[in-house]
Amino acid sequence: MSNVLRPYLAAVRSTLTAALTLENFSSQVVERHNKPEVEVGGSKEVLLNPLIISRNENERVLIEPSINSIRVSIKIKQADEIERILCHKFTRFMMQRAENFIVLRRKPVPGYDISFLITNTHSETMLKHKIVDFIIQFMEDVDKEISEMKLSLNARARIVAEQYLTAIAT
Amino acid sequence: MAPEVYHIAQTPIIAHAFNADRSALAVSLNSNEAQILARSGKEWATIETLSEHDKVITSIDWAPNSNRIVTASQDRNAYVWQQTPDDTGKVIWKPTLVLLRINRAATHVRWSPNEDKFAVASGARAIAICSFDPENNWWVSKLLKKPIRSTVLSVDWHPNNVLLAAGSADSQARVFSAYIKEVDSKPAATVWGSKLPFNTICSEYRSPAGGWVHGVAFSPSGDLLAFTSHDSSLNIVYPGSNVVHNVRMPSLPLVSLVWTTEDTIIAAGHDCQPFVFNGTEGGWQEAGTLDDQSGGASGGPARRGGLAARSGAFAAFQAADSRGLGGSSGSSGSGDTKLTTVHQNTITDVRIYDGAPGQVARVSTSGVDGSLAIWDVNAVSAITGRLGGMSMR
Amino acid sequence: MEVNFRKIDIDAFDEEVLRESDLYEEDPRGPAQALDEAKQKQTAVRSSLARNDIVGALSLVLDNPPYGPHVEEAKNISLQTLLTILNTTKSTEITNVVKSLSPDAQDTLMKYLYKGMGMPGWGDISGSVLLGWHEKLTEVAGTGCIVRTMTDRRTV
Repeated sequence: MSNVLRPYLAAVRSTLTAALTLENFSSQVVERHNKPEVEVGGSKEVLLNPLIISRNENERVLIEPSINSIRVSIKIKQADEIERILCHKFTRFMMQRAENFIVLRRKPVPGYDISFLITNTHSETMLKHKIVDFIIQFMEDVDKEISEMKLSLNARARIVAEQYLTAIAT
Repeated sequence: MAPEVYHIAQTPIIAHAFNADRSALAVSLNSNEAQILARSGKEWATIETLSEHDKVITSIDWAPNSNRIVTASQDRNAYVWQQTPDDTGKVIWKPTLVLLRINRAATHVRWSPNEDKFAVASGARAIAICSFDPENNWWVSKLLKKPIRSTVLSVDWHPNNVLLAAGSADSQARVFSAYIKEVDSKPAATVWGSKLPFNTICSEYRSPAGGWVHGVAFSPSGDLLAFTSHDSSLNIVYPGSNVVHNVRMPSLPLVSLVWTTEDTIIAAGHDCQPFVFNGTEGGWQEAGTLDDQSGGASGGPARRGGLAARSGAFAAFQAADSRGLGGSSGSSGSGDTKLTTVHQNTITDVRIYDGAPGQVARVSTSGVDGSLAIWDVNAVSAITGRLGGMSMR
Repeated sequence: MEVNFRKIDIDAFDEEVLRESDLYEEDPRGPAQALDEAKQKQTAVRSSLARNDIVGALSLVLDNPPYGPHVEEAKNISLQTLLTILNTTKSTEITNVVKSLSPDAQDTLMKYLYKGMGMPGWGDISGSVLLGWHEKLTEVAGTGCIVRTMTDRRTV
C-alpha cells in the first residue's frame, strides 16, 4: 500500500460517514411500502447529490446518498487484460453470494465493478462506523487480492511453460 | 455530572415519551408495538405492551395532564390510548380510533398544549389535526394540505394551542394555523399573525443549503422558531424582524431539538451527542456538548477523545502504510468498537425531562443504539471531537 | 396494441408534484451574465496569483459562484480558474489557506473539489492534488461540510 492511497481512502471514509446519516422513511409514492429511495428514485427531494471520489480515471468511488439508503459503487484498478479478467471473476464470485455480505448489491451500477447498497436497517442493526470500516477494508483488500492473484497466475504460467518446454527440449 | 444511562433494548428506540411524574415511559422499539416501561430499581421494565398497529410506530406522545398516549405508525393510523378498567376490573390501556384520512405513513405526532387536539405529520403531503368527537367516541381530523408537497417529518405546537410548526422533506419549515372552531377560543394576536383561520400559512422558511427539515420547535414563549435541517445546521427564526440565524455545524446533521430556556437550545442527531446552542437576536452559536466523551468508552479499551480519536484512524493508516499491511481496518477495528460518546448510534429523539418550559433542568435522549440517557442541561463541556463523524472512532 | 401508455410517468402530471426546480432558488444571473462574471474573475484571480495572494484568489472565485442547470460554460471556466489556484498552492500551505476562508467559501470549495473528482482527466485535474485539499478541508470544516455538498442543490 502506497502513501498515495491514504488520502484517497480518507476521502472515501469521510464521505461515507457523512452519507451514512439515514433514517426510517416510508415511501410517499406507494402506500404502505418502505423501500430504498436511492434505488426507486421516485421522489426527487429525498435524493441527494451523488458524489464521486477519484484517484485517477481508473480508480473511483461513486456515493449516491438518499434519506434511507446509500449506494456505494467502486471502480477497481485494472491495469491490463489479466487484471480485467481477474477483477471480473472476483466480483462475480462475490456478487453471486451477495446475501452473505448483507450490504452487497447483486449488480454493479453501470460504469463500476461492484456496488453496495446500505439501508437504514443496516445502519440500525450494525454500528455505523464499522460499516464504513468494512467498505474501506474491502477497497484495500480487493486491490491486494487481485495483484496477488496476478502474481500467482504469472508464476503458474511460468512453471507450466518451463515444464512444457523442457519436455520438447529433451 | 454524568448522565443517567439506561439500556432499554438491543433494537433502536424510535421515539420515547414520559408520563407526568416520570415514573413511566412509553417507547417504540422499532416495531409495531409500543412498550410501557416502569422504573424498577435502577432499570426500566416492561409492564404493558400496546399492540394495535401493524407497522413500525414512528412517534409517541404522552399528554401529562389527561394521561393519554397517542401513537402514530407507518400503517397510516394513529391511536389514542387511555387507562380504563377491563372486565375483571384491572386497569389497562385501551385504544380509541382516530379517523386520520391519510393514505401514507404517519411520521410524527404531538399533543397540543391544552391536550384537546393533536397533530399527526404524514407522508401523504398533509398534516392531520385531530380533535375528539364525543358523539361517536372517536377522534376526527382536519387536514392541513396546502402548500405541502412532500413528506412532513416533524411538528411542534405553539403554546397558544393554535399555531403549529412543521418541517418537511422539501427543505421547508412552515408555521400554520391549526385553529379548530369547535375546540379553540379565538386566539390573541401573536408575532406570527393576528387573523388565523384554519390552514393559514403564517410563514415559510427554507433551510439554507437545502436539507430536509428534521426537527422544529417553538421557543417557550412561542415568539421564536428553531429548526434543524439535514445540511448540518440549526436555524433560529425571529419573525418580528424577519431575521434567520443559521448555525453551521462541522459535524453530522441534527435530528431533534428542544428549547431549554428562551435563549438556549439542545439538539442532537447523527453525531450521537447532544449539542448546546445559545444566543440572542444578535447572533447564535454552538456553546458545547452535554457529552464529555468519557462515558461510552469506559467499558472498552479504546478510551480516547477528540484529537486522539482522530489519530487513531491516522495511526491505523500509518501502520498499514509503513508495514505494508492491508489490514489497517482490521487492526484499528479490534480495539475501538465503542464510540467515545454515551450513545453509540444516532440519537432519534430529545425530550424535556425535568422543569417547566423555559426553565428546563434535564432532558432525555433516546437513540438507535437502544439506550436512553437523562442529561443535566447545565453540564456543558467544550466540544473536543472537532472532526465530527470522523472522531467517532 | 399500443402499450406505450404504460410507460408514461403519471406522477409527473400530478398538479401537486414537487419539481426539481422547486427545491432551490435559481441563479438570478442569466447564462451570459454568469459567463461574463466568470471571465472577469479569471483575470482577477490571475493578478492575485501573480501577487501570491492565494486566499484572496480563492475567496474571489468562491464568492457567489454560478450554479444551476443553464450556466455550464461559466461553471467550467470557474472550475478551470479554481484548479489553477489549487495546483499552484504548496501542500504545506493548504491548511492555513483553508482556515482563513469564510464558512460559505469552505462549503463552495468542497463542492468544487467533488466536481473536480467527478471528472478525472478533464483539463489539468490531478487526483492527488484534489484529494490533498479534500483531506485538509475536511479536517478544518468537518463532515458537516461534506453533508452540505450533498444536500445543496445549487450545484456548481
